[in-house]
Amino acid sequence: MKCPFIWKVAVIMAICCIFALPRQALAGMSAYDIVKKSEGLLDQAKDSKVEMTMTLVNKKGEKRERGLSAFMKKEGEKKSKSILFFNSPADVKGTSFLVWTDEKKQDRQWLYMPALQRTRQISASGKGESFMGTELTFFDMGSKDVNDYNFTLLKEENVNSEMCYVIKAIPKKVEFYNEIIIWIRKTNYIPIKVDFYDTKGKYLKQGLFMNVKNVQGINTPTHIEVYNEQNGRKTIIDLKNITYDSGLKDDIFTERFMTRGM
Amino acid sequence: MRSFFPALIFIAGLFLSCLTAEAYEFERNVVAKLSIGGYLQGKAIYAFDHNTPDEYPSSEIGLEMKASASPLLSAKLLLKVDQDGKVRDPGNDSIFNQFNLVYQDKNPYVDVNEAYFDIYTGKVDFRLGIQKFAWGRLDELTPTDNLNTADLTEGGTNEQAERKIGVPAVKMNYYSDLFNTELAWIPRYVPYRLPKVQERWFPGVLMLPPVIKTNTAFGDIPVATAYKDIDLPDFNLDHSEVGIRISKYIEGWDVSLSYFRGFDAMPLMNTPTDITVQLNDPIALAYELTANINIEPRLHMMNVFGFDFTTTISSFTVRGEYAYFNNKYYMRKFSSVLNELVTTHQRDQILSSFMRKYVDSEGTATTQAFHIDPEVELQKDSMKYGLGLDYIHGDSSISIQCIQEFIPHYDSSKPVYFNKDGIHTMITFLFKQFLLQNNLEINLGGAYDVEYQDIMLKPSIKYNFTNDLQGILGLLIIDSSHDDSMLGQFRDNDEVFVKLKYSF
Repeated sequence: MKCPFIWKVAVIMAICCIFALPRQALAGMSAYDIVKKSEGLLDQAKDSKVEMTMTLVNKKGEKRERGLSAFMKKEGEKKSKSILFFNSPADVKGTSFLVWTDEKKQDRQWLYMPALQRTRQISASGKGESFMGTELTFFDMGSKDVNDYNFTLLKEENVNSEMCYVIKAIPKKVEFYNEIIIWIRKTNYIPIKVDFYDTKGKYLKQGLFMNVKNVQGINTPTHIEVYNEQNGRKTIIDLKNITYDSGLKDDIFTERFMTRGM
Repeated sequence: MRSFFPALIFIAGLFLSCLTAEAYEFERNVVAKLSIGGYLQGKAIYAFDHNTPDEYPSSEIGLEMKASASPLLSAKLLLKVDQDGKVRDPGNDSIFNQFNLVYQDKNPYVDVNEAYFDIYTGKVDFRLGIQKFAWGRLDELTPTDNLNTADLTEGGTNEQAERKIGVPAVKMNYYSDLFNTELAWIPRYVPYRLPKVQERWFPGVLMLPPVIKTNTAFGDIPVATAYKDIDLPDFNLDHSEVGIRISKYIEGWDVSLSYFRGFDAMPLMNTPTDITVQLNDPIALAYELTANINIEPRLHMMNVFGFDFTTTISSFTVRGEYAYFNNKYYMRKFSSVLNELVTTHQRDQILSSFMRKYVDSEGTATTQAFHIDPEVELQKDSMKYGLGLDYIHGDSSISIQCIQEFIPHYDSSKPVYFNKDGIHTMITFLFKQFLLQNNLEINLGGAYDVEYQDIMLKPSIKYNFTNDLQGILGLLIIDSSHDDSMLGQFRDNDEVFVKLKYSF
């Protein structure tokens, strides 16, 4: 698992789903150019913090809510640290999750359980597994090697009155998805929609990236919906109080801060 | 009246939860913050063996308050108000759990679970007040986690977090780039807690037989057992407890070294005994003996040197722990102590002493008492170590631990409880499966005592009805052919339990 700072779902998930960077030019701008521009615009901040509400909706429409606060800091190009605090529901309040990511090494993760007052190092989960019962996998939230995909810029299309580039991404080696189609807004290069097809080529799920807000000069989707067609479940993520580049200190990303809490 | 208490506490909890709906939070500017949360829990059991002591339904309110006045200062208070269905015939009038008693004997009661101030400075944090420590890496029978004693009123079968007793202490953490250091000082030992003899989870090993069969001229000796509460040592510096733990993260490994000097967190009992001899017929020399045995908690200062680590290897988390116990005391098996006491030599000594006093009293001292201090406590240095392995795959996880205690200079003629030839090995496991977007949790926990071949299984299902309301249905089964093993002493306590918890 790479970069499990969930708020980056809004920022990175779509980018990461774009991966491969074919250099075939089409109508002026290549898929690579589009992706690179989108990535550059979204992933500018050195650090960020955000509060979020995750709503899990089952196929009967029943909802469960989880509140989280998250902090992330990059350490150069290859390293980053992130910490996640659970604020609700009440029985998990105070639980925290720390991740140190280094592309050259195995990720390190720690979980703090307030009831036991014990911090434990845990192994990184499989990339194809669900993150906290959501319709997102750890793979969705991680960084990808763009060379593992082939891209095609299919067409331009109107989605919710916004003109978009439509890009098809095919992995060279099928692991989690057979195909991904991404719609990127022409106006601001922020993804608006992503369709995922499973390893058998069957339509799996759709991600929608809405309510784009300009936060400190960075266009950030603040409402994300992921609907899983195969199981009928939906995950809704709402972000608020987003702050970029506030100069987060290193000691936030330590066991000391995990146990001390927000 | 008793049956009203759970309902009263339930209603009070509902009232409280309404007052504090959605965890009342008050913020005055960025630095001042107060939050109140908690839970309301009801529990009931169904015992398979109707001859075991009953347990009425219980209800509990937990109230947690956290306040921070500035980034440098915060405070926490965790109170529990419990109408405990396990407690029978409460005799203590105090409403608060006391820090100087083994047998709390009160119902309902208020437990100050945690109450402390945190002071944060640049590299040093202080915590002052009633608090819990979490040393070591293993989940159960943690060798280096000796600073808090345990509430054993549920036989140790409940969650570790529920068992740990908060102790008044001072803690200091120093953080440096080299390593982190934790210093702990507990001015006064807080004893473990045990249920009373008539309650469901009273340890079987402390239950003495009503009659001692002597196979001597004394015949069978009726036994009256009294359970005395603890006599705490004087409140002075020598009797305070201290600990230090140094931790460091080294290339994927969390490692710690620790030292603790203090009293044992687990029960140790002595059995001073008064034998009453009554001469019924001087001519036939017909005696009648009765034994009054006092079971008294005892304390000895010990030293514990520990080491622990955690790392991840591939998809596994590996945890390990080792502790060397210096001046540790064990409790000898009662049957072994009896074999030493009830001998012809002992009989002759008592009788000759009796006759001497009888003659000196010119035949008037027909009833005499003799005091005996059996050698129940046994001092042995020992070590305890364990290894745990965790594996998480998607919504499933499994955790297995093996913990072994080893007494190097074990004397097999003086066996101690829970050991066989100086070794005691316990394997614990917990399998978890989350379903329905984590709303349904299936658990299978358990323990296997290798030497005694006892097994405890605790399967349960937990369902989140709403964000805040969850129900648990579980089963506790102990299979053992021993009365005096760690698990076997509770082998008749198989039960189904149901819990309903509302968090706010």
